[in-house]
Amino acid sequence: MAKLRHHWIVRLTHWINFVALTIMIGSGLRIFNAYPRFARRGETFCCYPWEGHPIPANLTFGGWLGGARHWHFAMMWLLVVNGLIYVGFIYLHGEWRDLVPRRGYFRDAWEMIKFYLFARRDHPIQGKHNALQRGTYFLLPWIGLLAVLTGIAIWKPVQLAPLTDLFGGFVWARYWHFVSMVLLVVLSVVHIFMVFAVDPYSLRSIITGWYNPENSPEERNARPFINLLPNRFRKAEKSNAD
Amino acid sequence: MPIDRRRFITISGSAVSAAILASCDSRGPKSADRLLKYAERKNEGLERVLFRHTAMDETISGSRLAGAALPSYFVSRTVPIWSDAVNGPWSLEIGGMVDRPMQLSLQNLMDLPRTHQRVNHYCVEGWTAVEQWTGVRFSDLAKLVGAHRDAKYVDFESFDDGYHESWDIESAMHRQTVIAYGLDGHVLGPAHGAPARLYSPVKLGYKNTKYLTRIMFLPKQNGGYWSDRGYEWYGGV
Repeated sequence: MAKLRHHWIVRLTHWINFVALTIMIGSGLRIFNAYPRFARRGETFCCYPWEGHPIPANLTFGGWLGGARHWHFAMMWLLVVNGLIYVGFIYLHGEWRDLVPRRGYFRDAWEMIKFYLFARRDHPIQGKHNALQRGTYFLLPWIGLLAVLTGIAIWKPVQLAPLTDLFGGFVWARYWHFVSMVLLVVLSVVHIFMVFAVDPYSLRSIITGWYNPENSPEERNARPFINLLPNRFRKAEKSNAD
Repeated sequence: MPIDRRRFITISGSAVSAAILASCDSRGPKSADRLLKYAERKNEGLERVLFRHTAMDETISGSRLAGAALPSYFVSRTVPIWSDAVNGPWSLEIGGMVDRPMQLSLQNLMDLPRTHQRVNHYCVEGWTAVEQWTGVRFSDLAKLVGAHRDAKYVDFESFDDGYHESWDIESAMHRQTVIAYGLDGHVLGPAHGAPARLYSPVKLGYKNTKYLTRIMFLPKQNGGYWSDRGYEWYGGV
């Protein structure tokens, strides 16, 4: 029996975030390409191995520097307001309980990793999300916050100088802004990969809200690309084998 | 063939990916232009609220002067150089909504109270550079010519092929906004806007007109070279 898994506010903010974040990253990369390095003029920068190498243009959005800036500075409001609605909602509505790490978090996360690496036979027992998901979904809003604050710091480095100083000045704030983007991209790519490779049924739940717990990865004992079939087929397989 | 769930996921997934790929390196939908303009106006409003005359740019300790590493940008085909032989002696005209319109020679400028400041340069492209400017505070010039209270904007014009940028008066009156004739302890060279240029860390680089010829106090904003070509008019930092 399918059950309602995601409140409509969670589903709506998820997809608005998908659009806003995609545009923010694309336009941000186009802005970055106007000066694809971090060093102040006449100086060097310690901590970026690809100084001077632009991002491939087909990964960018906005067409030109000015256009990308307009998109970036418009879409930032959608991203921030949407993020506040999401965090405010899960705080007031209780969903945060499924996302904050619980006691023994690292042990649970390690068990999940062992399971994925075939070092453990059975899927660990979980609630709504497994430990690795929990950690990721808990971390994402914080990285988002870092991205927003560092973004403000390099938008207004004179008028909001104390904020910029907090991140080590303009050059470092721009660097942390970039790093937070990279973290968001990495976690998002892993997230999307795992949706298709482990739990494609969750795609329905983030669109319509409905999810059949019988098809959860835990029930299917699913690893990436393994045991993807719905449970009813898998049970049939099993009984045939018996 | 009926579309089952899996097929639906495959088809809708490919459709979304195709749409995303198609929009890559594009300027985005034309229909968004009005929305983007609206956001730019609202952002300008917020930036004006955030603006403080007391907010000063400071360079980070240990940062080096960019010196020769400072790029030189101009819009003419070649480095704009003022020729006394062709144009007569250079002077800076200050006019518009003022009590005492003036023509100041370079010597006149140099005789006015002098200020030195070591500040950051914030380029729209994302780079910064540390520079040391010598010049006259704009606010001193405004006092000198008796700028009217209702002159809410200032246009800074140049002899660089019509380059100009207009500013809100608040940013112009900031203590770190100077009409500079010296850079890093030397006389300003043609690569960076000689004989005199506008420089302030409260605005992005492109707002700071080089090769200055005229300052006009205006009741309304008058766009600018890059602002008219699609960059933000306000360009505040």
